[in-house]
Amino acid sequence: MIDNLCDRAAEESIVVAGLYCDFLFQQEQTTINIMGAILKLLVGRGGIPNYLREAFQKSKTEFGGRGPLLGDLMEMLRIAIASLPRVFICLDALDECLPKYLLELLESLRDIVRESPRTRIFLTGRPHVGGDIQRYFSRVVMIPISPNPDDIRNYVEMRLDRDTEPEAMSNDLRVDIVRVILEKISDM
Amino acid sequence: MAQTSHVQSVSFGHGNANSGNTINSFNTFNISDEDEQIMRWLSPLEPNKRHQAVRTDRFSGVGDWILETREFREWRGSEGGADKAILFCSGNPGVGKTYLR
Repeated sequence: MIDNLCDRAAEESIVVAGLYCDFLFQQEQTTINIMGAILKLLVGRGGIPNYLREAFQKSKTEFGGRGPLLGDLMEMLRIAIASLPRVFICLDALDECLPKYLLELLESLRDIVRESPRTRIFLTGRPHVGGDIQRYFSRVVMIPISPNPDDIRNYVEMRLDRDTEPEAMSNDLRVDIVRVILEKISDM
Repeated sequence: MAQTSHVQSVSFGHGNANSGNTINSFNTFNISDEDEQIMRWLSPLEPNKRHQAVRTDRFSGVGDWILETREFREWRGSEGGADKAILFCSGNPGVGKTYLR
């Protein structure tokens, strides 16, 4: 999704910030770190803007160098988004955020959309986070994802074609492999 | 100084070579260039690294069907304000959400 949007970024004047959540790093996927990462992605290509440099310098002199606060980040995000053409934010695997950060994160995303209604947000996650998303975005559009049989067949065929020991394969076995895998995924 | 805010992230990132979003070693943030320091100050997460891994693993054409859905097109299009801001793709583990193109 990130690449699909990026492919058209130049012709359509959009900017894309994409982030993957990972349960291995739940502790550091705080709302602050995620919003900071989004800001990092948004300002990254254009050179560091002055307000960001100033905020960093100021933080170095306060409290012996603290990290940014959520309020600071939200204000900087607001400025960054206002200075850019249309912004797309993609967050993968929301369910891998700790619950205590998830709601705060959704609230922050809602605040971004309120400030800049043209912003577009693409989220993925297990079905159960849908309820949490709806608490903040009652108009959320949901698309259920299930394995697409054509996608799976193409992928399995590709892997079989690249088999390093093709002499161990017979046509019957090949047909069976594809058939059984497609049967299994229909239960997902 | 500014580095104090990053000490915590180092303990997570260290030893996880495939950590994706995170910095991987103690040395990477010990740099003088102010721009790099500002980027690390903003967040220890490094989403570009994970994205590179995903795009390398992705199989061409997988998930393209979603681009044709009405839901996607309405979200993607320039009409509509905050009402159309959010698109949520839901699914159980392993169905391919991460690899949607």
